[in-house]
Formats: sequence, structure tokens, C-alpha cells
Amino acid sequence: MNRRYRVMLIDDEESARKLMKAGIAWEDLGMEVVGEASSGVEAINVIDDIRPDIAFVDISMPFMDGIEFTQMATERYPRLVIIIMTAFDDFEYARKCVSLPVFEYMLKPMVRSEVVKVLNKVKGRLDAEHMSDEETEDEQEPVMSGETNATEQIKRYLEDNYTDPKLNLTFVAQYFGFSASYLSRKFKQDTGKKFVEYLTELRMNKAMQLAESNVKMFIAASEVGIPDPNYFGRCFKKYTGKSYSDLSQHVHKG
Amino acid sequence: MAHDSGLVKRRNKKNMTSLSASLKRVILGIILIVLVSFLIAMYSVTDKERLAYTKRNADSILRTLSSRIASDIDNYKQLSRIIMTDDRLVTFLRANGDDVDIGMINDARYGVMDILYVTEGIDSVMVFREDMIMMATNRFFYKYDYDLMNQGTWKDDILEGKGKAVVSLNCNGIASRNDRKPVVTIGREINDIFSQKRTGVMLMNISSDTFVSMLHQLEYDKNICIMGTDGTYFAGNSDILAYYDDSFLSERVVNKTLSTDSGNVLVSGCKIEGLPIVILNIAPYAPEGIPYTLLYILLFLMLLFLLSATFIGAFISRRVTKPVLDLSDAVDRNEQSGKLIPIDTDMRYDELDMLKNSYNKMIESVNGLIRTVIDKEKTVQRMEMRVLQEQIKPHFLYNSLETIGYLALEAGADKVHDSLETLGSFYRNFLSKGSREITLLREIQIVRDYLALQKLRYGDIIDDIYDIAEDTEEYIIPKLILQPLVENCIYHGIRIKGEKGTISITSRLIDDVLHLAVRDTGVGMSKEQIDKILMQKRDDTKYTDKKSFGLWDTIERIRIFCGRDDVVKIESEPGEYTEIELIIYPERLYGGNEQTIQSDVNR
Repeated sequence: MNRRYRVMLIDDEESARKLMKAGIAWEDLGMEVVGEASSGVEAINVIDDIRPDIAFVDISMPFMDGIEFTQMATERYPRLVIIIMTAFDDFEYARKCVSLPVFEYMLKPMVRSEVVKVLNKVKGRLDAEHMSDEETEDEQEPVMSGETNATEQIKRYLEDNYTDPKLNLTFVAQYFGFSASYLSRKFKQDTGKKFVEYLTELRMNKAMQLAESNVKMFIAASEVGIPDPNYFGRCFKKYTGKSYSDLSQHVHKG
Repeated sequence: MAHDSGLVKRRNKKNMTSLSASLKRVILGIILIVLVSFLIAMYSVTDKERLAYTKRNADSILRTLSSRIASDIDNYKQLSRIIMTDDRLVTFLRANGDDVDIGMINDARYGVMDILYVTEGIDSVMVFREDMIMMATNRFFYKYDYDLMNQGTWKDDILEGKGKAVVSLNCNGIASRNDRKPVVTIGREINDIFSQKRTGVMLMNISSDTFVSMLHQLEYDKNICIMGTDGTYFAGNSDILAYYDDSFLSERVVNKTLSTDSGNVLVSGCKIEGLPIVILNIAPYAPEGIPYTLLYILLFLMLLFLLSATFIGAFISRRVTKPVLDLSDAVDRNEQSGKLIPIDTDMRYDELDMLKNSYNKMIESVNGLIRTVIDKEKTVQRMEMRVLQEQIKPHFLYNSLETIGYLALEAGADKVHDSLETLGSFYRNFLSKGSREITLLREIQIVRDYLALQKLRYGDIIDDIYDIAEDTEEYIIPKLILQPLVENCIYHGIRIKGEKGTISITSRLIDDVLHLAVRDTGVGMSKEQIDKILMQKRDDTKYTDKKSFGLWDTIERIRIFCGRDDVVKIESEPGEYTEIELIIYPERLYGGNEQTIQSDVNR
């Protein structure tokens, strides 16, 4: 199989993400940048959609730092190759994540030649893994039928736990003993909605209530389980078509 | 020097008295006073006791003797009464004056003598009738003063006695012995038994030999003298006579201390009651009188006192003075060592312990103050460090570089992006998370980035060639030892020359020692310049040649890192090249210590 490896960039500095994206000849490496996230919170929410093979994680990010994200990600995505990016004054962070199964630590500012060197190493490893995967691929998907009851359970579980910012598809799948792809398919089948859409809906409905009762955005953000207010704001706008402040002010005026 | 200053210090204290010295003086003084007063007391006690003893002795002798004499005289008085009643004497006395003849006188004499035979010591008896006819025994041994006899006044005192015996001396002057020996005379008025009329006067003379034999008998003859009240010598030691005077005419014992050639003597004397006799006793101060028991007790007390004085002296010296000196020494040591440490010398007494404790408390509070100052200083330094860190804040720098880099990339200015990336790389390695040592590879990267940036500035005047042996890449070296050399190559070598130059960097590992060479094809250095750099001493704070400071500073850091001085070789040919070879030994332990200290400060 000759697919491109999917790369995700998680860094709160937009220019850094852009520079990475533009500065490296990804195609030449057989890779493509498939997604970005500006915080750990956002990354958790989108990672199941992006399904990256490689993640560049900046260690110092607001709301959920690189270490917390890495801890969570190595549990849920054992195959994910994580490359930590750190600057000199992140030294304290770096010390904390020494025990994490991280592929490489790279010093900021990134130098392209170094990045390319590391990525070549990553590619070598991923190639080797895929080789062995292909041999055993058929065993992967257990057939699970008649699990409609499970979907109901999951829905209930989501209703009870959507305020947990670490909640995502993979986590729920692991919790109920399914594979993520199976759960994703089955959920769509049973409910007509994608898992993420359903979770976002739950959160946004609650957020709208909060907006109506004039709760400040950053408080609403953390109450609905998206403690990164920037990402929350984007989600809110996408879902409702209006910004949180508009809605909040509108309600206020009305 | 320290000794000298100590002496000077002592000398400065000259007008002060040391406690121990004044104590010694006081104790010695007390001992002296006690000794003197002891001797005086001993002397006076001894003297007094001896005097008292001698007095008591003399007194008893005098009493014994005087009672003996008195009783003897009493005996003679009795005898005189017996004589008075003798028939032949009575006949002699009663006879009419005309009837008296020599025969009658002789009869009376024999009668008296018959009685006298029975006794000793009576020299003669004289009886005078009223008509002054005289009868006398031993008549011819006497010389008579007839004129006086006829005057009759001599017997007044006897007549006053009205029949009682009256003792006088030397026959009241009417007779004296031919050999001039004195006699004691007992005089009596004789009355007729029937008519009770006075018939005559009797004088009974007792020879001085009586006293001589009496003294002899009592063995008193050496120190005793018996004499008459008129100073006539009777018996005993006639030398004593010289001491006689009227003051002894007292019936109570009179004592006089006189000094003679053979020491003090006590002369005691008294008049015997009712008799005209004086006894004198002379006695040297008797050694028997010394009260040895008392003296021994005194001596014992004295010794006791001396012992206790010595003990007190020693006690004060050992328990007070010495600990005080110890304390003072400890304080001095502290002062000399320059360290403010509490004293742990053991003090046996509360007072000194208090002194020690208050010193220690002072030390503690001084140390506390110093600590406070140091802490404050540290805080200030930390703050300054933080401010510095804030100023360089790499995160911000890197983010900015990235942002600008992206902008450049977006605008198609790839070269700008490249330069920014080099700058970022340079700073990342240059700062190296603040560590003092890095791998050679990293140092080389710094140089590469540095030269890349310098080339941007100066165009293509430099070529750089790297020949890095693989086994040297991970060798740990002090950070920034190559970069300053390379900087030197550019500014003091190649740029001055005005031609394109080459900087080549070579590294080799020879016997586990890293040899790093930086060679430039610049103007080169003269022998003098090289020597000046190499010979410059560590403590030479005058960096007159600012140009070589960067180089010298680098060499110095390597020296500290390796813990030895032979870390650099410089070869040069003026106008051709300069090659600086750094020889970097593996890090020495104390170099490492310094590093940890430094990194502590950095944190």
C-alpha cells in the first residue's frame, strides 16, 4: 500500500503551523498535512476525524498542554507517532514528559533539515509497521450485529458525560469495547448522525442555553467540555451560524 | 606575624591587670599577712604564756619560801618565850642591880644556852636588864655600839610590841657580828610573871646561815635571794641583790621583767608578812612555759589556711581564669579563621557558659544578618537574572522568527526564510538551554550558523572547511570556545587582509584527548603577540589588549574546564596563516563542581 502518511500539527502559534506546512516538502516525503489544532482540546475533538499517523505537538499550549495531550493520545492511539516541539524555556515541561513514549523531542525554532531528518526516521518505522499490518489486516474487524441497544447506551453515556473535555470517539469506543471505526459506522447507521456531530450537538444545545442565560463565553466553554474558548467559539459559530457573543447579547437585548 | 601582633596586643594591654596576675598577688598578699600575724601571735602567745608560767612558778617558790621562813621565825618566837621563863635568867632579871655579878650573868647565860642547844640557827641571845646590865651568849662574836645602847631609843619598837615578839634586823643597830654577817633579831619585852612589871628586853639573833641552809635544803639557792628590807644580804644568789629596789617592799608578789645578756628574766619578790625580810626570785623565761599544744593547733590552722589559699588560687585559675582564657582563645581563633562559627569549648560553669552562649548568640545573629544580606543579594540577582531571561525570552524570539519566516516564504523570499532559519538555529544552539557544556557537534553547528550569517553580511569573503572526525562529535566541550576563535579569524585575520580567506576547523581524538584546530589564512600573528596571549596571567586584570581578550578568555575557560594550563598552541606565519590548536582534556572533577554551582546560579 502506498498511501501517504497523515500528519497533524498541534501548536497554538498559527504561523508556526503554517511555516511547518509550507516549509517542508511533504509530498516528497510521502506525507501530507491533513489537519491542525490550536490546542490540545481542539486536537482531541478533531483527531478522530483527521486520523493522523504523525502528530507534531507543541509542549506549551493553553487549556491543555502538550504533555496532557500526549498522555491521553498515547493511551488512545498507541500507533500515533508523537514528536514534541519545545523551546528553551519549556525545559520544565520537557522534564515531565521524559517518561512518555514520544518518538522525538525537537528544539524550537524548527530547522527544516532537522525536521526532514526526523521525518525520514518516522517514515522508516511506519513503513515497517504497515508491512506487518497488511499481513494481519483481515482479523481486524469483529462483526458485531444487533447492538442497537449499545447505541442507546452510548447516547445516554454521552448525555451524562459530554462535559468531559477528553471525551471523543476513540475514548467511547474503547470504553464500550468497540473499535473506533466500527463505532463510527454503527453510530451513523443507528442515529443517522456522525458521532462527533451528535456530541457537538449535545454541547452546543447546552451552550445555547448558557448563552441565553447570559453566561460568559469562557465559562460556558468549560462547562460544556470545550475549555478552549477559541475553539469553542468556532464550534459555536459553525453550529448555530452566530457567534456566542451575538447570541448572548441578542438574548440580553430581547 | 601573628605571634608579633599577639605580643603587641599583650603589650597594649600593659596598663590593664590580668585577672590571674592580680589574683595571684592578692593571694600571695593574704598569705604573707597571715604568716606575719601568725608569727606575731605565736610570739606573743609564747611570750605571755612563758611569762605567766614563770610568774606562777616564782609565785609558788616565793610563797613556799616565805611561809617556811615565817613558820621558822614563829618557831624562834616560841623559843624566845621559853627562854624568857628560864629560872636562871629570871633570877638574873629579878636581882637588884647591886646583886648582879658575873656569876649570876653566867648562870643566866648557861640557862639560855641550855635551851639553845636544842635548836639550831640561833646565833645569839642578848638580854638587857632595865639598868642596861647585859647578858649575852656568843658575846665575843659581836661588836657593840654602847652609845646607841645607852640612848635607849633602839628598843622603842620592841616596847611598842608590849610583850609580843618584834622582828627586826641586826639587833636594832646596837650590835653587829664581827664578821659582819647580818642577823635577824627577834626582840621581846620581858615582864615579870608575878609583878607584871617589865624587867628587861631580850634580843634573839638568828643567823643568816639559817636561811642559807634552808635554801640549800629546798634547793632554791641558785635563783633565790633572801635579804633584809634594808638591802642586807642574807642568803642565796647575791647577784640578785642588784635588782632589788623599794618596789619589792610589798607583801604581795611583785614581778619585773628585765632584760639581761642571757635573755629576758623575770624578777619576782615580796616582803614576808610581818617580817623585815624580802625574798627575790629570778627566773629566765622558762621553755617549759611554751604552750606547744596551742602552737601546734595554730600551726595546723596556718597550714590549713595556706593549703586552702593555694587551692583557691588554683581553683580560680583553673575554673575561672583558664576557661576565660580558653573562651578568649576560641574567640581569637574564630577571628583569625575569619569564620563566624559558634564556640563549642566546654564551659563548666553557668556564668561562663552564659558568656559563651551570648557570644554564640551574637555570632548567630551576625550570621543571620549576613545570611539575610546574602539572601537579599541572591534575590536581587535572581530578579536581575529573570529580567535578563525576560529580555532574551527565546520563545518569543523563535515565534517571531517563525512568523517572519512564514511571511517571507509566503512572499516568495526564500532566502530571507533561509536566513531566519539559520538565525533561529544559531540562537537555539548559542543559548543551548543555558548549559555550559555542549557536544562538539553542537559547537560546530554554532560555528556553521555563525559563519553562514556572517557570509550574509560580508558576502563571499570566507570559505569554511570542516574536517570533523566522527569519534569527536559527541565530545563534551565548554560552550562557545570555537565561535570566538572563528570571530577572531574574521575580524583580526581575514578582514584586515582584504582578501578572500579560508577558515578550516579540524578535530581529532588522540589518546582520548580532543585536539581542535582553527586555521585561518589571515594576516597572522607575530611571535610577540602570541607570547603575550599565552603568558597572560589569570590574575592579570589589566586587559590592555582588547583585541585578544576574547581569545584569552576562551583559553582561560578551557584551562578551568580541564584543570590544567597547557591547553593551547598557537602557530602563525605573519601574512600567511594563524593556527590555534586547543587541546581539551576530559573534564576535571572540580571543573564539574564549578559547573554545577554555575548552573545553580543560572536557575
